[in-house]
Amino acid sequence: MPENGAPLTESAGGTRDLGDVSVGELSELRDLLFGAERRQIDELRRRLDTAEIAPDELAEKLPQAIVQRSARDRQLGIALAPTVENAIRESVRRNPREIATAIFPVLGPAIRKAIAATMSGLANTINRAIEHSFSPQGIRWRVESWRTGVPFAQIVMRHALVYRVEQVLLVHAETGLLLAHVPDDSLGDADLVSGMLTAIGDFVNDSFEPKKTGELRAFAAGDLTVLVETGPRANLAAVVRGTPPDSLPAKLQATLETIHLQWCDPLTAFNGDATDFTATRPLLEECIETVLATDTRAKTGGLRRIAWVIPVLLLLAAGMAWRTAGRNREWSAALARLETEPGIAVIRTERSGGKWHITGMRDPLAVNPSLLMASRGIDTNDVVAHWEPYVSTEPALLLARARRVLAPPAGITLSFKGDTLVASGRAPAFWIVRADGLAPALAGIGAVDLSHVTPGLPADMEPIAAEIENLRVLFAAGSDALDQPALSTIATAAGKLRRIATAADANRYDLTMRIVGRADPTGAETDNLALSRRRATAVRDRLLSLGAKASRVAVEATGSGDPIPADTPAQRARVNRSVSFTIRAQPSLTGNVAERQR
Amino acid sequence: MIQKKVCMVGVFATGKTSLVQRFVHSLFSAKYHSTVGVKIDRKQVQVGTEQVNLLLWDIEGRTAEQEIPESYLKGAHAVLYVADGTRRETFEQLFSLRDHVRSAAGDVPSIVALNKYDLKGQWVVSADDGRKLIGGGFHMLTTSAKTGEGVEDAFRWLATATLTAPPTPTVQPQVRHGN
Repeated sequence: MPENGAPLTESAGGTRDLGDVSVGELSELRDLLFGAERRQIDELRRRLDTAEIAPDELAEKLPQAIVQRSARDRQLGIALAPTVENAIRESVRRNPREIATAIFPVLGPAIRKAIAATMSGLANTINRAIEHSFSPQGIRWRVESWRTGVPFAQIVMRHALVYRVEQVLLVHAETGLLLAHVPDDSLGDADLVSGMLTAIGDFVNDSFEPKKTGELRAFAAGDLTVLVETGPRANLAAVVRGTPPDSLPAKLQATLETIHLQWCDPLTAFNGDATDFTATRPLLEECIETVLATDTRAKTGGLRRIAWVIPVLLLLAAGMAWRTAGRNREWSAALARLETEPGIAVIRTERSGGKWHITGMRDPLAVNPSLLMASRGIDTNDVVAHWEPYVSTEPALLLARARRVLAPPAGITLSFKGDTLVASGRAPAFWIVRADGLAPALAGIGAVDLSHVTPGLPADMEPIAAEIENLRVLFAAGSDALDQPALSTIATAAGKLRRIATAADANRYDLTMRIVGRADPTGAETDNLALSRRRATAVRDRLLSLGAKASRVAVEATGSGDPIPADTPAQRARVNRSVSFTIRAQPSLTGNVAERQR
Repeated sequence: MIQKKVCMVGVFATGKTSLVQRFVHSLFSAKYHSTVGVKIDRKQVQVGTEQVNLLLWDIEGRTAEQEIPESYLKGAHAVLYVADGTRRETFEQLFSLRDHVRSAAGDVPSIVALNKYDLKGQWVVSADDGRKLIGGGFHMLTTSAKTGEGVEDAFRWLATATLTAPPTPTVQPQVRHGN
């Protein structure tokens, strides 16, 4: 210190007094003047020397640091992810209950959200399918599909696709070897593609002075575009179908940066073994996406969300149209049937107020139009009909009217020949008389022909009359002698005559049995006529001898003029050498009058 | 699986593409196709327990004065030099070609395929030439893309060499004394 003090003394005599001040005092003075600053400097020096952050300081800064870094990029999250995953895994391993309890409140909403998303996706799919099926565009696509033989789904995809990132390849920059690619099954020759992509990049670099033009970033083939993002150690290539958006290269670049950050060492040390890069696949998969035109439109077009309404409405409309068409068909058919119906003339039909209005004329004897329509499936509540009565001259109606007025008995059939009503069959005589008087008075009937009606007998007389009329009393040729069979037949006839006479009396009928004699055609007709008369007379005499009243029998000779038909001439000759009987009966005048008065 | 990039280099029409065709597809065509730029093919080779996927960069052959683009060579794990035994210049070019390859890809395992052995009668390369080549640090095999001789061996040797220290090719002595 004296050596130090000497030069001070020599150089500046005015400061000699300081030489007397002890070092300790000087230190004390310095402390007094600069104490606080010195301590701060010492602390700063210590911090610089140690270059460590104190835990309390870190605790102070950490939250802010996290916020700042998170706002800047995703690196913090990426860096923390493995640690957080490990921590969660460890926690679950130790005590699953804690985690289960913690996430319980979010599980329910998450599940509900997932279900809602699924349902919404389903509705979206239906809407899209319907939109493609029913729109003119959809029909055009159907035609294209049919024409080209390409499945419809592919045609839709081709047209609706804005872009789809189909494959993503991570390629080692130096060697062109494939590090990873997604999706796994997409590209059988991914390693070759990877090499060729690199070779193409190299070719472009060599050929076009990349420092001026920039490196190969994209190339296209057809509707495929390959986007290439280059990095110092690896390149990322995306195979895109459609038109890739401007945002896609930035996304690829961000992914490539993350890979460079996280796989820096493996990329540097890569020697052909790509095992380390399997873990990049989740990052690559984030780049795979499909965007359809319908997705973008759906966001703006609210109407498209309810596209499913269209087919429902169409179905309803079609159903109603089908039903209406069906009803109209039924109505037309019923109307046509009605118009062919005798006695019904439809003049006008119209549809108003949800009902059918029908106007026309109807014969009272025609069928009931309502019943006819109901039988054809028409709801008659929907039909308002106005029928004017008229008299139809159609044969069917004329017949109906004749039947109604004349009330023919069961044995009579009525028909028309021109405007003449023809009756045939057997009927009681009084009906014949009445019909003869009434029929010409009916509208549409010009005349009545009753010539085919034979007067009928009451039921108890009719069979006996038939039996009697079937009897034949046969004779030998040229003879009028009654042999044994003839006598027997006559006896039968006499018995039956008694019975029918009794019945006729009971019925108040006047009865006559005509005895008709015949002869075969052989010989002169004069002789035959005489022979037939003799035969008839012989039979009459025999009957009278058996007790028949002379007033009830009458003889008639026909010779061979009214022969009984037979199949062969021999049979005809045999059957006509005979006598037959005809019963004529009609109500006795006195009896009928009495009946009518009663 | 390990992948390795193998570059095939040599003067034009030495048979690089034919060797790849023979090795990968077991095919040979006498028709000459000039390769433009580079063609890449792939062949899996079993080396011990290891499957090695060789990506074969069949690089366009050039004339002696033209250099192969360095960009195709960079990152190569192995190089197959191809020379044509019937054309002396293809053989003489090998040394300058090696210098160029080394500047681009480094000193990676490599082997010379002295090709067209099926035309041995027309060969202009002698046993002395072979010895000169081996003396210069080359490994060498005679090959024929047409008959398939030596082709599998050449690629197999390269595949093994990319994984381990390269063994001495077993057929080498035959070549040395073969002419």
